[in-house]
Amino acid sequence: AEVEETLKRIQAHKGVIATIVINAEGIPVRTTLDNSTTVQYAGLLHQLTMKARSTVRDIDPQNELTFLRIRSKKHEIMVAPDKEYLLIVIQNPGE
Amino acid sequence: TAPRPFPWEPAQQAAGAGWAAPPLAAMFADGTAAGTDVESLWRSARSARCEAKSCQTGKISTVETAAQSHTCRDAGVQTDQSSDAVQDFQQEVQVDYTSLLAFLQRVEDAVIKELNKNWKSHAFDGYEVSWTDQNETVLCLHTLSYPEAQDQNLQVTGISWNATGSVVACSYGRLDDGDWSAEKSYVCTWNLDRRGLKPQRPDLVVDVPSSVMCLAFHPSRPSLIAGGLFSGELVVWDTGRTEDPVVWRTGMTDDTHTDPVYQVNWLPDGKHRSHSRLLSVSTDGKILVWREERDGRLALAEGFAIVAQQIPRSAQLKKLAWGEAAVGVTSLSFSHFDPHLFVVGVEGGYSLKCSAAAETLALPRTGSSVPLRAPAELTFSPHGGPVYSVSCSPFHNLFLSCGTDGQVHVHSLLQAQPLVSLQVSQKYLFCVRWSPVRPLVFAAASGEGNHNNRFCSTGDVHLFDFEKSSQKPALSIKQAAGERPVYCLEFNAKQTQLLAAGDAAGTVRVWQLSSAFTEQGPRELNRLEQLANETTD
Repeated sequence: AEVEETLKRIQAHKGVIATIVINAEGIPVRTTLDNSTTVQYAGLLHQLTMKARSTVRDIDPQNELTFLRIRSKKHEIMVAPDKEYLLIVIQNPGE
Repeated sequence: TAPRPFPWEPAQQAAGAGWAAPPLAAMFADGTAAGTDVESLWRSARSARCEAKSCQTGKISTVETAAQSHTCRDAGVQTDQSSDAVQDFQQEVQVDYTSLLAFLQRVEDAVIKELNKNWKSHAFDGYEVSWTDQNETVLCLHTLSYPEAQDQNLQVTGISWNATGSVVACSYGRLDDGDWSAEKSYVCTWNLDRRGLKPQRPDLVVDVPSSVMCLAFHPSRPSLIAGGLFSGELVVWDTGRTEDPVVWRTGMTDDTHTDPVYQVNWLPDGKHRSHSRLLSVSTDGKILVWREERDGRLALAEGFAIVAQQIPRSAQLKKLAWGEAAVGVTSLSFSHFDPHLFVVGVEGGYSLKCSAAAETLALPRTGSSVPLRAPAELTFSPHGGPVYSVSCSPFHNLFLSCGTDGQVHVHSLLQAQPLVSLQVSQKYLFCVRWSPVRPLVFAAASGEGNHNNRFCSTGDVHLFDFEKSSQKPALSIKQAAGERPVYCLEFNAKQTQLLAAGDAAGTVRVWQLSSAFTEQGPRELNRLEQLANETTD
């Protein structure tokens, strides 16, 4: 229940379109989108996050990826990585 | 008897019976000796040792018995269709709630902070990246025409792009002074992606005995094209067939329109994916839906009739003459959001919101095989002249209407008064279309009318962009030298930078639009929403 509360708080934030939590294997655990879109986002962002993380560590092995943001014409995708899970939030930035 | 004597023995010794002494010459005489037989010993010995013996199997004992089951049970086994692996992921994945909660608590603050920063950030305002080469100019890619049709002074009455976006078809006919004498006309197609495209030689020319007023390619089958004729008939051609391209036709029956067909549309048929239905619109007030029959005929499936008496009156609209006459329909457009909702433009100068699910029957009860219904639900405020074209936006429930008063009205489907009224030109406007990619862009085709050129837009195809200006066109393209009106235009849904326009000189020009008209801006949909909402208050 607390898990749902936390996710609801994030989802209710201004401009947030969707919230997805995926586990270390890239399998969605919680989502506010429909299934096919969720699976698409999960697969693609999991790979991208892994690539970003290895990029940061290759440049400086003492460094670690803390946050990933992708800004596109239509919205912004934010990824908070962790050892076991990944939190993906898609926001439509305001004017 | 006497034993034979040996030859050299005197005979007296042998017999002893005193026979006379043989002559001496007979001492050596020929004689044959009998053969000698030696009896075989082994054969007899062997044969003596054989014995005859015989044996026989003893009798086999057999028994006959029968068995029959008297109780039985039926059982069946079938594998159940397994549910999609995707659907149940939330249950299948073993989630450790405590670790998930701990993770969320760790990241929540950081994420909320970033969300807030993002919401207030101006860092990216006005920042745009172009991944593709920006095309700054609008140029005419092709000028297509059919010289034989031009020699007969025929005009381009309809244009359509096919399902794949590579073939453009145009119909030749007359929009100014049509007459009932059967004037031959043509339907020509060009494949723009072919090498060796000859602008003066269409890939396919179909001779039509009557004037073709409108065209529509099938939305998914690239070779089918439907046309509406001046005589009120509908014909469907298959451009893949070489001998006789006519596939279906309505023929002249009691159901056929009695006036020229000004617009033909393919309707998506929910039940049969492959077959679509055809919808035709004519100034006799009828909107008819046709179904394909086996023998090449088009049969009437359902229909609507618009009669002046049954049009919903609105308190705001005063200056309309109500009569019992049929209301001539010139154009139709379906809403992209509700498949039953459509808008028609009418000769009387106004547009009507109609529903395909309407139940009330139309008066008078004309003698058609299928009862016609009255679909009109709302009357929008009128133009100063007949409406020639309506177009529903693919992005919002707005639609455009244009007419001979040179104005374009942007209406919301929910209210009678227009949101925006634009005086595009002093000339008649024949066609208006929303852009399929940019929610704020539309194109209008103009020509003829009064020639007071006080407004300096001498161009014939006007492109409006609400992003730039809501008063004057972003771009005006002159289609042809001399004042030849442009009668029809269509955007290419697949190759979104192409716009085809056909004019009264019988030429079709394919324009390539600049990137400004083909790339959706970052918040265009929001701006369209704002536009839709700002004047409804």
